[in-house]
Amino acid sequence: MRKVWVVIRREFTEKVRNKWFIISTVLVPLLMAAAIMLPILLAERGGGHRVVAVVDMTTSDFGLDLTERLDASDRVTAYWVQAEVVDMEAAADSLTQLVGLKRLDGYLLVGDETVVDGQAEYRGSNISSLSDMQSMQRLLRQAVLVERLGLVGVDPELVQQAQIPVTMATVGIRGGKLTDETGESRFFFAYTVWFVLYIAILIYGVQVMGSVVEEKTSRIIEVLVSSLRPFQLLAGKILGVGAVGLFQFLIWGVSAWALIRHRDVVLGVVGIDVPTSSGFRLPDVSAATLAIIVTFFLLGYFLYAAMFAAVAAMSSSEAEARQAQTPVVMLLVLPSILLIGILQQPDSGLAVTLSLVPFSSPIAMPVRWAAAQVPFQEVATSIGLLIVALWLVTWIAARIYRVGILMYGKRPNLKELARWVRTT
Amino acid sequence: MDGNGSVIEIQGITKRFAGHTAVRGLSLSVPPGSVYGLLGPNGAGKTTTIRMIMNIIIPDEGRVALFGGSGTGRDLSPRIGYLPEERGLYKKMKVFDLLVFLAEAKGVDRRAAKQEAHRWLERLELSAWEQKKVDDLSKGMQQKVQFISTVLHGPELLILDEPFAGLDPMNTRSMKNVVVELGRAGTTVLFSTHIMEQAERLCDSVCIIARGQKVVDGPLAEIKRSHGGRHVIVAVEQGNAQVDGLLQDRTLVAKADNYGQYAEVELAEGGDAQQLLHRLVSTGARVGRFEIAEPTLHKIFIDMVGEDRDAAEAEEVRADA
Repeated sequence: MRKVWVVIRREFTEKVRNKWFIISTVLVPLLMAAAIMLPILLAERGGGHRVVAVVDMTTSDFGLDLTERLDASDRVTAYWVQAEVVDMEAAADSLTQLVGLKRLDGYLLVGDETVVDGQAEYRGSNISSLSDMQSMQRLLRQAVLVERLGLVGVDPELVQQAQIPVTMATVGIRGGKLTDETGESRFFFAYTVWFVLYIAILIYGVQVMGSVVEEKTSRIIEVLVSSLRPFQLLAGKILGVGAVGLFQFLIWGVSAWALIRHRDVVLGVVGIDVPTSSGFRLPDVSAATLAIIVTFFLLGYFLYAAMFAAVAAMSSSEAEARQAQTPVVMLLVLPSILLIGILQQPDSGLAVTLSLVPFSSPIAMPVRWAAAQVPFQEVATSIGLLIVALWLVTWIAARIYRVGILMYGKRPNLKELARWVRTT
Repeated sequence: MDGNGSVIEIQGITKRFAGHTAVRGLSLSVPPGSVYGLLGPNGAGKTTTIRMIMNIIIPDEGRVALFGGSGTGRDLSPRIGYLPEERGLYKKMKVFDLLVFLAEAKGVDRRAAKQEAHRWLERLELSAWEQKKVDDLSKGMQQKVQFISTVLHGPELLILDEPFAGLDPMNTRSMKNVVVELGRAGTTVLFSTHIMEQAERLCDSVCIIARGQKVVDGPLAEIKRSHGGRHVIVAVEQGNAQVDGLLQDRTLVAKADNYGQYAEVELAEGGDAQQLLHRLVSTGARVGRFEIAEPTLHKIFIDMVGEDRDAAEAEEVRADA
């Protein structure tokens, strides 16, 4: 055990000192911050103050009413321009020039037909801003509605009341209790769990492979196995890289938590003022959820790391190992693609199967858990099956590793591999 | 150490690989405190034998006992220093960290490992490179680092597979000095080589193997004695027909290589050196030199190994030497 510890410590300190560890540790939270702030920044840009003109070609008060409505919204300044239908092109031309000079963001063309068949036209420099267009369309729709109903004699007061919008909040139920997470945030969370687990198992598994190949190609392996049992070496390596993974996620997790928790402060520094209630709320990650994620990550990582180590042991070079890893990567990728379905229907037969089968369960079960309620027996069964598979795979991988690390030259075929596993 | 018992005792080990037998029924015993040479041409099975001693590969038949006990090379790694034929280090590790790690892997306490690493790096003039990455070192310096990792933990038994292969003369000398010194201090050293001159200078016992089988083993002096007495170096004045006739006498002389200044004579079966001297003197020729020569290890090796299809390989060995 002391020797395993020596291997773990070397693997951990060498990996953590490596410049790629430092770069990726710093870079990922930065990307994360960018991913969170960029949409807000874009929304902010899209929702900036707009100056628009309403070109009124109606014979009623509709144009004036619309202008007032637009002007009343706090992000738009609207001017009313009255025009005859025949002068429309001339008016439009001069307004287009004003837009070109950036004196105006755009102009809205309305006429009597706007009220009758709902035709209007907006020309402007900000048409790609979805939020601008949506809010303008909403105000236009309201104005048209009021105008139409007014024409048939409905009291405007009544129309105003009828227009109070309906909103439906989604609230998740977990363990027979209401949670304060929304449908949106739960989906986002489950998706994050899927992405993080998939990437983590792949990245750290491949690191184990690289580490084994390095020992083979540098030929230090023979010195190592003269004083360490191959299994001690394999166990120390997998545990060491796993510890690097947990350490890196701890750094990321804490920084992400701090960042989102204090994002108003962070955004304030960047000069954006966002009301704290806006956007989705962070899902409550309970201790049980965290425990499930960590447990399945570790078991899944061990399972795949053992396979990656075996692949590396039977290859003589980095390039060869990259080729030989394909079946292992496929084993991880295929269920992951199917998993998108789990997010939609976490209780479907496919989802349940994927979350029980050992090679897909390390990712599928935590994703299901994050997306919906999973019976305890299913989680226990999944963990049980995973442990059995892990034991079996590690046993085979260790045997392949033991023989493979001292073999150079041609990669073994399946028959030879079987012989490696059988030899004592 | 276990009294008079052998440090390494090999009994009838055999190792087969797909298609060929690398080592066949090999037995040998390395006495404590000796410097033991495992000799043979390339492909004779030296490395396979050493790997079986280290328990890196397991013999199909036979057994290996170390220090008179049942522990394997791995269990006993704190007492053994092993330098494999294929050298290798972690290229991206710092020299000092690497040495400490390799010592710890053998079960040495971390603090002691650090002390010894400093001491050895200083001794082999690598102190300035302590905090450099292995990759930044020259090939020769890397070889030294590898050698330090073999001896750092103060082993009782050194197993060196082709220790001087690929070394420049300076490094060969500094490492040979360390080996000799450790040998004098009581460390048992087993090393393999295909360079007979090297073995002859360093070893007190040898085992020559060819095609996976033992040809001869024992103390070097004994081997030489049993092969000696049959070679005579003779220098006589040239152009004496009687002398030439005498050297053609197949009852007395099996083979005579005349080099001009002197001739190397191999006596025939039952031929006696004293009789040859007597008859040389009676020809009336002036005898400048008459010496019963000890055969070189190289000569013994060629005689015993080089007669059959390995001759070509042995020639190659001579060229290397």
